[in-house]
Amino acid sequence: MARAKIKRGSTSVDMTPMCDVAFLLLTFFILAAQFKPASAVPINPPSSVSQKVAPQKNFLNVSIDKNNKVYLYMSQELKAPVLEELGKERNITFTPQEIKDFEQAAYIGTPISQLTQFDKLTPEQIKATIIPGIPVDSANNELTSWISATITVRMGEPLNYLIKGDDASKYSTFENVIDAFKKNDVYKYNLITNAKDVPQGSELYKRSLEEQKEGKKGGE
Amino acid sequence: MAEMEVKESSKKGPGVKKSKKHSTRVDLTPMVDLGFLLITFFIFTTTVSQATAMDLNMPKDTKDPKLDMKVKESGSLTLLLGKGNVIYYYFKNDPATMQTTTYKDVRDVILKKKASTPATDLFIIIKPDKDATYENAVNMLDEMKIDDISRYAMVDPSPDEYSKIEQTEAAAGIK
Repeated sequence: MARAKIKRGSTSVDMTPMCDVAFLLLTFFILAAQFKPASAVPINPPSSVSQKVAPQKNFLNVSIDKNNKVYLYMSQELKAPVLEELGKERNITFTPQEIKDFEQAAYIGTPISQLTQFDKLTPEQIKATIIPGIPVDSANNELTSWISATITVRMGEPLNYLIKGDDASKYSTFENVIDAFKKNDVYKYNLITNAKDVPQGSELYKRSLEEQKEGKKGGE
Repeated sequence: MAEMEVKESSKKGPGVKKSKKHSTRVDLTPMVDLGFLLITFFIFTTTVSQATAMDLNMPKDTKDPKLDMKVKESGSLTLLLGKGNVIYYYFKNDPATMQTTTYKDVRDVILKKKASTPATDLFIIIKPDKDATYENAVNMLDEMKIDDISRYAMVDPSPDEYSKIEQTEAAAGIK
């Protein structure tokens, strides 16, 4: 008697489709990933329990580094009109080349008087020089002019004012920055922070738990 | 499975050696492993780097005393943020009774005050002095949120309070 032969299937699986999928996903994530904009000035912001994601569009970012120097970042499309507006307010004429240099500079970190010569520097040269920062003290608060120029350019369109301060910066510098905003009738800001978990057992924690429960009840 | 079938050819003579054909298939398992490892890496790094923002609304500066907010003395707690991550606090309007605490323990002080005062009277005054860091101020604002305090204000300390803080700091040797 001949035994019925059991056909043994091969245990090796074709990995090609899986490999395709894996690399497709990989390419997608690499392309879709928004990398942290490489900020020229390292700033370590404090943490808060706030869950709100920082606005990424239409912003004016005032940064304070650990040496209490103030820098200004703005969206690319705002740069040229803001500089022209500032020139009008201060009676300075900028040449087209100077405006171009300004557009290419990553941030504003100098008094207006040194602006044009500073924008000419290459990134390597900037690393080697000491950046003076925008003056914000009460005697000469140039940040006020920058903010007012930006507001004029935006013509009433909403703008997100982000303040990103370093842990170690002094409160007094922050106060000067706020003063500059207040002079322009801006009272609402977003402070950039790192996300932190709500401490367990705290009032906010209890409340969010209650809200969750209520939400579930309402859903039933 | 698309295995390559190696046909045995009978055309070759008996003396010709058969060249052994290797399979053209490559084991893709390590490549898939690597792919997924990278995917996991990218997923994690993209979500973590999202910066959050904390809303801050400042009041308009007014010179008109009528518009100043009236605060019940019994319900007020003043927190002075000093140098070296130290908090000085006093109740009511009495800087003489100033006490010292830290950022870890300040929650207890606030919650105790909150429990003992009617919600409508409770008012916390935050006064960061010139040596306080930005982190201190943000932590304090965050603390207000954590402790669910709805009425608070940020004010500059008075000269009296400054001198009091300086004395305490000198006595405690805080630099």
